[in-house]
Amino acid sequence: MAEEKKKRVINRLKTMYPLRALVDGTYEKAIAASREGKPVAWCMVNWWGGDAILRAMDVAAIYPEDYGAVCAAFGAAPAYLASADADGFPTHMCGYARNCLGYAAQMKESGDIPPEAPMGGMPRPTLLLGSGYFCDTRYKWFQSLGRYLDAPVWVLEMPHPGVKESRLKGAREHDISFLVAELEGFISFLERLLGRKVDRDRLTEIIDDTIEMNRVWHEVNELRRAKPCPMHSRDFWSSMPAALYMAADPRVTAGLYREMYDEVKSMADSHLGAIPEEKYRLAFAELPPWHSLGFFNQLAERGWNFVVESWAYHPPKPIDLTRVTNPLERIASLTYQYFTGYFEDAFATGDWWGYFAHPYLELAREYRCDGIMLHPLLTCRTATNHLMVVQDQLMKKLKVPSLIIEGDIVDLNLFDPADALRKAETFEETMSHYRKVRQAAGLAW
Amino acid sequence: MAETGLNRAKEICQDRAVSARELKAGGRKIIGYLDIFPVLEMMTALDLVPYRLLGDINEPITRADTCLPTVVCPFLRSVMDLGLKGKYDFLDGVVMAHGCEVSEKTAHIWRIYLDPPYAHFLDTPHTTHPSARQQFKALLKYFKETLEVFTGKELSTEKLREAIRIHNRQRALVRELYHLRKPDPPLVSGVETVQVLIALASLPVAEGNELLRQVIGEVKQRKNGPPGKPARLMVWGSIIDNTALIDLMESIGANVVMDDTSLGSRAYFPPVEPTDDPLDGLAHRYLVALNSPRTFRETILNKINKKDYLTDLENRFGYLKDYAREWSVNGVILQVLRYCDIHGYEVPGLSDYLDHIGLPGIYLEHDYGKAALAQLRTRVQAFLEIIG
Ligand code: SF4
Ligand code: SF4
Repeated sequence: MAEEKKKRVINRLKTMYPLRALVDGTYEKAIAASREGKPVAWCMVNWWGGDAILRAMDVAAIYPEDYGAVCAAFGAAPAYLASADADGFPTHMCGYARNCLGYAAQMKESGDIPPEAPMGGMPRPTLLLGSGYFCDTRYKWFQSLGRYLDAPVWVLEMPHPGVKESRLKGAREHDISFLVAELEGFISFLERLLGRKVDRDRLTEIIDDTIEMNRVWHEVNELRRAKPCPMHSRDFWSSMPAALYMAADPRVTAGLYREMYDEVKSMADSHLGAIPEEKYRLAFAELPPWHSLGFFNQLAERGWNFVVESWAYHPPKPIDLTRVTNPLERIASLTYQYFTGYFEDAFATGDWWGYFAHPYLELAREYRCDGIMLHPLLTCRTATNHLMVVQDQLMKKLKVPSLIIEGDIVDLNLFDPADALRKAETFEETMSHYRKVRQAAGLAW
Repeated sequence: MAETGLNRAKEICQDRAVSARELKAGGRKIIGYLDIFPVLEMMTALDLVPYRLLGDINEPITRADTCLPTVVCPFLRSVMDLGLKGKYDFLDGVVMAHGCEVSEKTAHIWRIYLDPPYAHFLDTPHTTHPSARQQFKALLKYFKETLEVFTGKELSTEKLREAIRIHNRQRALVRELYHLRKPDPPLVSGVETVQVLIALASLPVAEGNELLRQVIGEVKQRKNGPPGKPARLMVWGSIIDNTALIDLMESIGANVVMDDTSLGSRAYFPPVEPTDDPLDGLAHRYLVALNSPRTFRETILNKINKKDYLTDLENRFGYLKDYAREWSVNGVILQVLRYCDIHGYEVPGLSDYLDHIGLPGIYLEHDYGKAALAQLRTRVQAFLEIIG
C-alpha cells in the first residue's frame, strides 16, 4: 500500500474517497442500528427498487457481496472460506457467498460478530433480501444461510429481458408490471415483518433521488471517452458501490457524484489522463481481483489505462420517466432499463442477445479500446459464461483482441500476478497489431 | 424383428439420433429442449416432437471451449459441444428456459452459434409468488404465439387439453414403472430405468407411452430381474443422462431404487391438474408443482417472525422423506456436477435434513467424465459398507 502511494502511477480522483467512505460507513451504521434494536437487512444487489423500500422503512441495509470484496481486500476471506468449506459447501461456488457463509458460521458459533471481522463486521440481520436476476447464487446463497441465521428470506423476482422475446407485443409492459407487483409484494412482506407501514411520500422522494443519482453517475462515466481517459477503472470500482448498493441517502450520493463529475470534466478539458502516459486503452470484464488491485499499477506503469468496465456495474442509460407517475413503476422502469439499455442496438445489428456479450461491442467502440482484459472467475458463472462469446465477437466484429487472466474475486490463490504480467507484456504486441488491422478495415480507432 | 420393451429402450439409448432422424425423414418437425421447464404439451399439441437435449459422457468436449468456458457445468458444455459438432443437426428448433443461470445463457449462445430456424427462450420466474405465477402464464402465451407463427397452425384449447391428457398418461406410466422398483429386490434396475428415461426423452410422447406399456408388461412378467442387494439407494442431484454412475453403484452392491433428478422422477411426477384455462394448469405444474431446487420456496416464518431451520428444511426436502419411506431407501447419494450452483448450495442443508430423519447420505462431486467416476468407486464402496 505504502509503495503504491509513493509511486502514484494511477492518478486517483480526490472525489472518489468520500464515495468509498459512504459504503465503508454502512457497516458502522448497521452496527449502531442493530445496537439500538433497529432492523438490519443483508441484501443482494437488487437494482434499486428493494433498496429504496428498505431506506423508506428505515431498515439499515448492508450487502454481503460488498463485504466479500472487503474481506478479500483485508485478507480476512481465507478464514471464512475455510469455515464454509468445512461445513460442506462445494468449493466451486461463489467466493462472496462462501465468504459470507463462513462468516455466518463463525457468527453462529461465537454468538456475535467474529472478532477479526474487517470494518467492524456485519451485524446479525433481521431479514435477508435476495434477488432473481443475474445468478442462481443471488437466492440460493441466502436460502442456505438458514443453517446459521433465523432471519427470513425474501426473494425479489426479476425478469430476464434483453432478448428477442422481449420484443413481442406487450412483453415490456408485462415485465414492468411484474417488477411493480414484486415491489408491492416486498412492501407487504416488510410491513408484516416490522409491524408498521411504509411512508409512501418518503419512498417517492427516495425513488426520484435514486433516478437522479444514477443519471449523474452515468454522466461521469461518459466523460471517460476522452483521450487520454481521466478516470481509471480503479476509481470506478471504488465509486460504483455507492450507487449499486445505495450506500447512503441517494440525494447525498448524487451530490458526491456531481463533485466527481466536475473533477473528471476539468481533467478531460485539460487533457489530463488517469495515468502519466496512455499507450493502451482497455476495457475490463467482469469483476476485478479485489485482493490484487495493485496489479493495475504495474500495468499503468506500462501505459495501460483502463477506461471502461463491464456494463453490469454501470448505471442504466438514462431514460425519460417524466410521464410515469407511479413511483414504483418509475423505479421498475429504471431497473428494466438497466436490463435492456443495450438491447435495441444489439437487435439493430442482428444480435438476439442484448445483454452480457453485446454491450462490450458498444463500449469498445465508443471508448476506443485497444483491447479488453477478461477475468474469468473460477467461482462465478455469471461473470464468466459469456466471456468466450465476448472474445469471439469483439475480434470478429471489431478486431479488438482479448487478454484472458483467470482468477477469483475472493480467493487469492486462484490469481497468479507474475503469470498475468507475463501475459500482459506479450499482449502489447497484439494490441499494436490490431490497431493496424482496424485502421486497414476502416474502423474509427 | 424390431426390438421391444427394455431392449428397444437400450437400443435407442445407444444412439438417440436414429429415431430422431427417422421421424424427421417421415416429415415430423423436431424441437430440442433443455431441462424440465419448457412446456412440452404446447409442442405436442402442434404435432411437433419435443426432443430433450442431452450430453454425451463418451464424447470428449472439444468444440464448446470456443463459446462456453470450463467453469460452466460440464453437462451443458457437452450439450453445446454436440450442437457445434452437428450432432443435433436434425433439429428444427430449440426451446430453452431459465432452468438455471447457465442454461439460460446457453439458450442465447446456442442461438448465436447455431442459429436454428425456430428458437424460443422461456423466462421462468424463481419463486412461486402470486405475481410470478401470473407472469409465467403470460410468458406461456408468448411461447404459444411464437409456436403458432412457426408452425402456421393455431394452438387451440382442445388440442392443448388432448396434449395434456397424453403427457399426463406418460407421467402416470412412469410412476407405474417407478412402483416396480419398490419391491425387494426391485423388478427393474436403476440402469434399466435410466435407459427407459433416455428413450422417453428421444421419442414423441405417444410412442414413449407405448414403449412404457411394453416395458412395464415385460418387467412384471420376467423371472430374471435384478438380484437383491443390501443397499437400496436414492440418488439426488444434478441431471443424470447416462448409465455410468448408476451402473457403478449397482455393480458394487447396491440397488438404485429411486431418484430425484431432472431426467427422472422430478421430470414426471407431478401431473397437470385440470383447469378451465389449460394454461393455468400448465403454469402451476411447471412453476409450482415441479420440485426443483432452482425454484425458491417461501421461508416458513414462526410467530415471532423468525425462520425455523428445521421447518424450512422440511418444507424444501420433505418429499424426499416420503420417497425414502415408500421405496424403502436406506442410503442417499447426493451427487452434484462440478459447477452446478443450483444443487451445490443444497448440499449442507440436505445433509442436515438427512441426519435429522436418520437416513445416511454421501456427497459426490463429479465432472461428467468416466475417468472421474472411477475415482468415486472407492467412496461409494465405503458408504455401502456403512449402510449395508
Ligand atoms: S454474480 Fe457471481 S460473484 Fe456475484 S453473487 Fe453471483 S455468483 Fe457471486
Ligand atoms: S446440472 Fe446444474 S448447472 Fe447444469 S444445467 Fe442442470 S441445474 Fe444447471
